[in-house]
Amino acid sequence: MTQLTLINALLKPHLAFKEIAQVDSNAAKILQKIVPLLLLAPPIFVWLGSGLFGWRMGADEALFLDNTSRVIISFCYFIALSLGFFSTVFIAHWMGVTYGADKPLKVYFALITVVYFPFLIGSIAHIYPNAFFNLLVLLLTLIWCMTLLYKGLPVALEIPPERGMLMSSSLVAWLLVGAVSLLGISVGLWTIGIGPAIAV
Amino acid sequence: MSQNTKEIYHDHIVIRLIQFSLFWVIVAMAVGVYLAAEFIWPEIDFGQFWLSFGRIRPLHTNGIIFGFGVSALMATAFYSVQRTSHVPLFMPRLAWFCCYAWQLIILLGGLSLLAGWTSSKEYAELEWPFDIAIAIVWVCFGVVFFGTIANRRIRPIYVSNWFYGGLIIVIAMLHIVNNLAIPVTIGKSYSLYAGAQDAIVQWWYGHNAVGFLLTGGFLGMMYYFLPKQSGQPIWSYRLSVVSFWAFTYSYIWAGPHHLHFSAIPEWVQSLAMVMSLVLLAPSWASMINGIMTVSKAWERLRTDPALKFVVMSLAFYGLATFEGPMMAIRSVNVVSHFTDWTIGHVHSGALGWNAMITYGTFYYLVPKLVGRELYSTKMANLHFWLALAGTMLYVLSMWAAGVSQGLLWLSIDEYGQLSFSFREIMAAMSSYYGLRLIAGLIFFAGTILMTWNLFMTMRGQKTVEVTPPPVAEKYRINPSPKPAADHTGTEVPA
Repeated sequence: MTQLTLINALLKPHLAFKEIAQVDSNAAKILQKIVPLLLLAPPIFVWLGSGLFGWRMGADEALFLDNTSRVIISFCYFIALSLGFFSTVFIAHWMGVTYGADKPLKVYFALITVVYFPFLIGSIAHIYPNAFFNLLVLLLTLIWCMTLLYKGLPVALEIPPERGMLMSSSLVAWLLVGAVSLLGISVGLWTIGIGPAIAV
Repeated sequence: MSQNTKEIYHDHIVIRLIQFSLFWVIVAMAVGVYLAAEFIWPEIDFGQFWLSFGRIRPLHTNGIIFGFGVSALMATAFYSVQRTSHVPLFMPRLAWFCCYAWQLIILLGGLSLLAGWTSSKEYAELEWPFDIAIAIVWVCFGVVFFGTIANRRIRPIYVSNWFYGGLIIVIAMLHIVNNLAIPVTIGKSYSLYAGAQDAIVQWWYGHNAVGFLLTGGFLGMMYYFLPKQSGQPIWSYRLSVVSFWAFTYSYIWAGPHHLHFSAIPEWVQSLAMVMSLVLLAPSWASMINGIMTVSKAWERLRTDPALKFVVMSLAFYGLATFEGPMMAIRSVNVVSHFTDWTIGHVHSGALGWNAMITYGTFYYLVPKLVGRELYSTKMANLHFWLALAGTMLYVLSMWAAGVSQGLLWLSIDEYGQLSFSFREIMAAMSSYYGLRLIAGLIFFAGTILMTWNLFMTMRGQKTVEVTPPPVAEKYRINPSPKPAADHTGTEVPA
């Protein structure tokens, strides 16, 4: 790899995705190094924010949890993010055949890392866990991630843009299902006593 | 053959139904946007009963489901059943009657809702005179549809007709059974059922109206129009037939999941939960079939904006049909029920699936029907991004609002008392409702663009006359007799 840094990947995504497409470049290796940061930082921000400010769901009073609950919630968040990240990489690799892509797994790994990176930046908002504020940041992050996905995927996989559009949409479907699963799992954990105390 | 020179498909009815569908989507969506605004500024009902939430909410839902949705389903069912049967519609005058009588029911029914006539059953609010009228028109719809199939010249019945047929039969059954009532005055009746039975019958109806109308009917649309748009046969025809029967069998049990933690027996709730989870398999079978079919047609995306809508509709179909069973799990439902998460779920289906697949179909169908290119492809592309942005923003804002509400409803303090009052929680939701209003406006703006685009495409054009093409010998019903064979098996020329 020549000049690729993650910041370059975000500022000049087209060039970065072209570099990712080169199987013999070491872009994937460099990007792999930041994956632990991508997966660990958001849960740490959640842990910090829920202790410093409490969860603010919109009502006047913030919800404060004990440290054990906060650690468990942050750990569950880490597991969910890891599952989401790696499953997206493998599913993208699996889908690639259908859409005419013939790239090794490491290219998909690098692609999803770049697409996911705006989420890391957005997750800083977890430090102030006001639900509406986080939603607004999430929306901006999502637009950024989706732009990177739709523009970057056909370049990185070297497939026609139309096929890239189809594959990106299939991945969006997968990610939406993943997001709603995260909601369902969270709620399920609350009802069995992990997380905020609720009257069930 | 004379059939091919004289017979013409009755596409005038199709285009008229599309026009009505476009009219209703504008009206009903405008009402929806107004409702969204009322959540932020309740005073904009100006003290008028007919503008209050309780009266215009059913106007919004009935207008979308029965005005926009059913008109689109009638249009596409009439269009596709002729093509898949190779004959014009059976009893075309009855089809015209269905078209206009249905619109009259929606118009007068909508006004009756504003006037305060209501049975108070969700999605079945219209009072008994309208229920009888709906039943009559619906049976006529069935006569036209099944009559056309009975007259068909091709032996196989294509899978889209199975879904449309399922829609017609099941909705008739649900509508008639659920609306059995004793009339008291012209505008008031009381349900024949009482208490828990009434609730079970209502949600047997309510959930299967979602199932067989908003899911099954629109799957019929997908199974006919997706292969046409993509120029590819359906990826797995066998899978489509298996998914139809699995879908039909499992959907009908799932209704009581709307009544979790209520007075109905717990085993009924558990059964509904399990069958809801089973439902995921046939639902996703159709999604996979759609995605795999369109994956081979990527080159068409260069020129066809309609296909983008269909692609995205499949993504939201996958989301909604996963989310529904998940929310039917009792430990999730205990938090999600009575929150805006449900509203987000409904709209991921209604905007993302029903509206998008219908819009994609209209963009494909209208130019074909009038024999003219779409007025503006750029406008259609812009519409796609508006529709996607509006749907995403709507769903995400309602997810966040819903989960927050669920948590706040159930929060208790150290004395076991509820931590927050209803008023406090609702006041805290106004920011989310603001986002929802913006989302609705974005989606509505896209819909207005489409209506204008299609209006300009249709303007001044006559419907193209299409004659049924001949059917290949091996698929023909009553094929011409085979030439006789002599004792050696050699065919003897006639």
